[in-house]
Amino acid sequence: MGVLRISHVNIRVLDMEASLHHYINVVGMKKVHEDKQGNVYLKCWDEWDKYSLILTEADKAGINHIGYKVESDEDLDRFKKRISDYGIHVDDIERGALDSVGRALRFNIPSGHEMYLYAEKDYVGTDVGTVNPEPWPDGLVGAGVHWLDHALLMSEFDLENGVNKVEENTKFMVDVLDFYLVEQILVGPEGNQQLATWLSVSNTPHDIAFVGGPINGLHHIAFFMDSWDDVLKAADVMGKNKVKIDVTPQRHGVTRGYTIYFFDPSGNRCETFGGLGYLAQRDRPVTTWTEDQIGSGIFYHTGELNEAFTTVYT
Amino acid sequence: MTFKVLIENTDEVFGCSEGQHILSAMAKMGKKGIPSGCHGGGCGVCKVKINQGAFSSKKMSRAHVSADEEKAGYALACRIFPETDITLHVIGKLQKRF
Ligand code: FES
Ligand SMILES: [Fe+2]
Repeated sequence: MGVLRISHVNIRVLDMEASLHHYINVVGMKKVHEDKQGNVYLKCWDEWDKYSLILTEADKAGINHIGYKVESDEDLDRFKKRISDYGIHVDDIERGALDSVGRALRFNIPSGHEMYLYAEKDYVGTDVGTVNPEPWPDGLVGAGVHWLDHALLMSEFDLENGVNKVEENTKFMVDVLDFYLVEQILVGPEGNQQLATWLSVSNTPHDIAFVGGPINGLHHIAFFMDSWDDVLKAADVMGKNKVKIDVTPQRHGVTRGYTIYFFDPSGNRCETFGGLGYLAQRDRPVTTWTEDQIGSGIFYHTGELNEAFTTVYT
Repeated sequence: MTFKVLIENTDEVFGCSEGQHILSAMAKMGKKGIPSGCHGGGCGVCKVKINQGAFSSKKMSRAHVSADEEKAGYALACRIFPETDITLHVIGKLQKRF
């Protein structure tokens, strides 16, 4: 019952050809479909639903929407009522309006980011199948990531003017969509303002995260890898392909993940997120990072926040 | 062919070879005059105004450079490829909120 996982993101790119090179040859996804409007759909080898990334050519970079899969159609009925009872307008979209997706709910979370929920997406299977599968398929390209793991959405944050969309989003995700808070960064004079939150709806340390910034946007989308070795190899692939790396392999204090931040050719930030971090549980106590230790929370080894982290995003 | 790029704000000068964008040329020389971000024309931190010189450019995010601005010489340094020596003024900045 309820939300299962992140299912896809739809991001805007400036140059489709360059983007396809990035997501196919560097990240290691496969193109599965192109619709009449020219949107391109891609998936990772270990995902069984048809796609996890939609690329839309546009004149600015950033995110169009994010989709989460729920378990059943009854969940959609239940969430539809809860979302509208919360005071948020929700559209009930017919099957097929989102390519290869069943009936869907469309709404904006408090920050304004557009979100979809749906119970069905066309099944195509993983690249190793379900009967006596090999641990990984032959012919993996680039980083060969397993699956889309999470997204971090920049949400408007301006304490002086009483704006904290991180907190509003977090409350909505918990109260309405049954996510649970896993980690948070608290700031402000009283040390009680959520500047950043990491929320789970499964057992990974985050299925979505929010960080405060001057305007809404996309901070990054992240892809899962098994190990530190995979993360190192992914960084080699990026070096070979002259990909702009924001942060070379490093550990996050928050979620304990092994990370690389890098940019796609339109400036959208991507991440390879290695390792499970830990098994998140609904009754696991929430981890809090204080304002003076933000640097270690984000980049555990250097303990220093790089200037670009909260300024550079799409 | 290498062109000279002058950053007016800081008086920094560096070389930029043909086919290389200005921001990458600057970063490779270890210079910091223009804020460096995504290198993909998406984030806008590297916004500059080109005051002198000719260049070609790639698509830049309209969220950061409007069509009118582009006509007036505003550009993103990571999308600009010099064809002559260039003089520019830095507009973008990394604004730290916390
Ligand atoms: S560095 Fe992001 S637009 Fe140039
Ligand atoms: Fe992440």
